[in-house]
Amino acid sequence: MPQNRFHKKLHLIAATVVLALTHTCGFAQYNGYSAIADEAAFKVRFAAEASKISSISSDFTQEKELMALTEKITSTGKFWYRKSDKIRMEYLKPFSYLIIINGDKLTIRDHDKENRVNVKSSKLFQQVNRILIDCVQGSILNSREFSSRVFESQRSWLIELTPTSKTFHELFKTIVLVVDRSSYAVDSVTMNEVAGDVTKIVFDHKKLNEPIPETVFTR
Amino acid sequence: MSRYRKLFLLASLAILLHGCRSGYSALKPQAPDSTCIQKLKPVATTAWYHAGVDVGGKHLSGLLLIKNMPDSARRVVFTSEAGLTFFDFEFRDGDRFLVHTIIHKMDRKPVVSTLRKDFALLLGEPFRNKTISAWRSGNEVYFGTVKNKEASYFIADANCANLQRLEMGSRRKRKVTIDFDGKDTVNVVHHTFPMKIQLLRLKKNDADR
Repeated sequence: MPQNRFHKKLHLIAATVVLALTHTCGFAQYNGYSAIADEAAFKVRFAAEASKISSISSDFTQEKELMALTEKITSTGKFWYRKSDKIRMEYLKPFSYLIIINGDKLTIRDHDKENRVNVKSSKLFQQVNRILIDCVQGSILNSREFSSRVFESQRSWLIELTPTSKTFHELFKTIVLVVDRSSYAVDSVTMNEVAGDVTKIVFDHKKLNEPIPETVFTR
Repeated sequence: MSRYRKLFLLASLAILLHGCRSGYSALKPQAPDSTCIQKLKPVATTAWYHAGVDVGGKHLSGLLLIKNMPDSARRVVFTSEAGLTFFDFEFRDGDRFLVHTIIHKMDRKPVVSTLRKDFALLLGEPFRNKTISAWRSGNEVYFGTVKNKEASYFIADANCANLQRLEMGSRRKRKVTIDFDGKDTVNVVHHTFPMKIQLLRLKKNDADR
């Protein structure tokens, strides 16, 4: 029947349009960014340039968005990194909370409660520790925990990490790093959770390669 | 039986009996005062808290959101400070309960059951659309409901001026107490195993709402 044939054709066209649209979206999901041509070369350059960063101190603003509940909470604090395995992340508002990674030692302080953990005692801590350090040092693209795609804009690189290990696959859909094109320092980290919630940490007022005393990572 | 052994047994019995009396068996029934019930009955209020949980010698902290949803459900969401969602529970009228999200490590029946009961008590779920009975004990009035041999109480002073605390327990044994340090601090204490939750309300101006 000509009428039926017309409807079939219409469905086919509609399906093709939908497919084409979703296909396009798959490659254009980051506004202002396009996929880089040579990811292997970028990996080498990123690792080489990021390894020139010996220290970072910055402010940070973290925004956690609970999508289904249309709720958002913003927290702010200070961040320090010193090559090659020292990180201090101190939340100051609206609550106080401190994480220090110093080699194999992890210290978490919540008000007057302090937990000291040897990272070696837990595989999960080891993995999280490694990822944080890898992100700052530029070696995250070689991590076996994630597959990656890299995009670029005029001002920054965008690295999309998709977990491949079971531990992180359960927690995150993707982790997205935005890296400053000139300094190769991380500008922001966005964690997209499996359940749809999103946490974005933006690092502001970055100071690179300035001396940071050891006491910052010990107390 | 030696004299000392007899003494030890008697002392143990006395302690045991005293322990039994410290439950709810001494409560004296009285007519419930509906005005007092309406005034002091716990209800869920939307707020963010910084939460600390001490269980079996371990300490865990994070952010807790209690939210009244537009569709009349109550949601309780617990996340790490760095943003990862640990669990997302939903409470609805008619004792309906739904786990929207829970991380694998916490997804154990006893964990979910304990958290469900603790937060249900805090949100006043056992008292929603229920017939509430009342009892007197000294200078306090217990308002409560019983379900599956477990009683939930909100406890007022004799003049019905203030809510003193919330409790949950069996007929003989107090299991959980929730008390409040002013408006901004909530303490949940378990009496049958070592677990405490402390909630510190975050200032409205500091958290985006």
